[in-house]
Amino acid sequence: MSIRLTALLSLLALALAGPGRGAVEPSAMRTIPAGFYEPLQRSTTDAARVAVAAFQLDECPVTNAQFLAFVTANPKWRRSEVSRLFADASYLASWAGDLEPGVAAPPDAPVVQVSWFAARAYARWAGKRLPSTAEWELAASAGYTRADGKDDEAFKRALYAWLARPVPTVLAPVSSIRPDFNGVRGLSGLVWEWVDDFNTAMVTGESRADSGLDRDLFCGAGSIGAKDPSDYAAFMRQALRSSLRASNTTTSLGFRCAHNLP
Amino acid sequence: MKIPTLFLFACLVGALSAADAASDHACCSALAAGAFTKNSLYQIEAAFTTDAGRPVSLGDFRGGPVVLAMFFSSCNYACPILVADLQGLQEKLPAETRGRTRFVLVSFDSEHDTPRVLTEYRNLHQLDDRWVLLHGDRDAVRELAALLGVKYRQETNGSFSHSNLITILNAEGEITRQRAGLREALDETATALTTMAKSEAHPGTGGSR
Repeated sequence: MSIRLTALLSLLALALAGPGRGAVEPSAMRTIPAGFYEPLQRSTTDAARVAVAAFQLDECPVTNAQFLAFVTANPKWRRSEVSRLFADASYLASWAGDLEPGVAAPPDAPVVQVSWFAARAYARWAGKRLPSTAEWELAASAGYTRADGKDDEAFKRALYAWLARPVPTVLAPVSSIRPDFNGVRGLSGLVWEWVDDFNTAMVTGESRADSGLDRDLFCGAGSIGAKDPSDYAAFMRQALRSSLRASNTTTSLGFRCAHNLP
Repeated sequence: MKIPTLFLFACLVGALSAADAASDHACCSALAAGAFTKNSLYQIEAAFTTDAGRPVSLGDFRGGPVVLAMFFSSCNYACPILVADLQGLQEKLPAETRGRTRFVLVSFDSEHDTPRVLTEYRNLHQLDDRWVLLHGDRDAVRELAALLGVKYRQETNGSFSHSNLITILNAEGEITRQRAGLREALDETATALTTMAKSEAHPGTGGSR
């Protein structure tokens, strides 16, 4: 009874808040054409290229304003309410309060310090999903002016310059990033991003212990080999994903959503 | 002396909706104990199906010790060893604890490990009625794996590479111990599980974490 009443009240509150201050632009989505993802590391039985079907991807990473709308509608994802199981102690730590991103988290900057569980819950709430590693890497392989960023010198320069810069205390607006060939912004240049299957990266956690895979810890991993040792950015992403637990949050890790083509 | 019919009717409706709520939680102890604790794995909303074809959520296992592991039925390297480890663990438990502990195996293989295939697996490995084998869709499997810290991926030949991890949950569904690897620390794991189970069955008579 009281649950229903609360639900009714919050619905009412939402309706009243309606087009006012709570309203946030839904993310524009861009179509990523079908292509191939070449896994950085693969087992001996894996194909060198994985076919990826065309899909839709948010033009920009999810912003603080958008994430605020999510936590407003879903109290259990507010900083003070969230279970430690689903988000660690630094979840939204740069926000001024539960429903107040504050000066360190401008509305149009990417939301960071969000866990995989939170990112996934947001995506579900938005009627979308997180992209897979294959989808995300396919999208991120686009340059500014070419479908393949490996042939785009300006794109590569910007990418490596970003990797060399420390993460700023206050992130730039998502709109400050130059759109790529597909019209997508910020796959590099702002923050790292969660993917749905981040926990496929098979390393045991402690990087110095990972010169080989322990057959007792991992089944069937066999031998793995890197496809292109010069793809430094891909190595960094792989290393990041394999070091994460789903409840982890960091100041440089955000996310965006994907959708199957209608 | 006449009790108004309306009052009786109200009682009846009340009783019926209480029964509904109980079946929502599937287990009466869950209802009695209220919401799940902040660290309870049972907060996971993912839906699973048992090898008997019954829909369950993990919260249905609330109330006693649970030993949880992920596997897939066509695995012929690590999973048989993992299951043998779990059977060994079951044998090491004192009778009282053994009688209260559930062994829950969740398959990575959403596509092939249907309840029917899981039943065959149960028969093949002679798993008794303390064991539950679960099928979940890809989303449910990924979410549970993420909660447990299990990493896995499907290879192009259809098999799965995966962490070998045994997780012990207390009556509230909180992780009290995890054992990584194979053939290791069975005695320690059994002792830890027994201590936990006894402290929960007889609160206040020793046994702490």
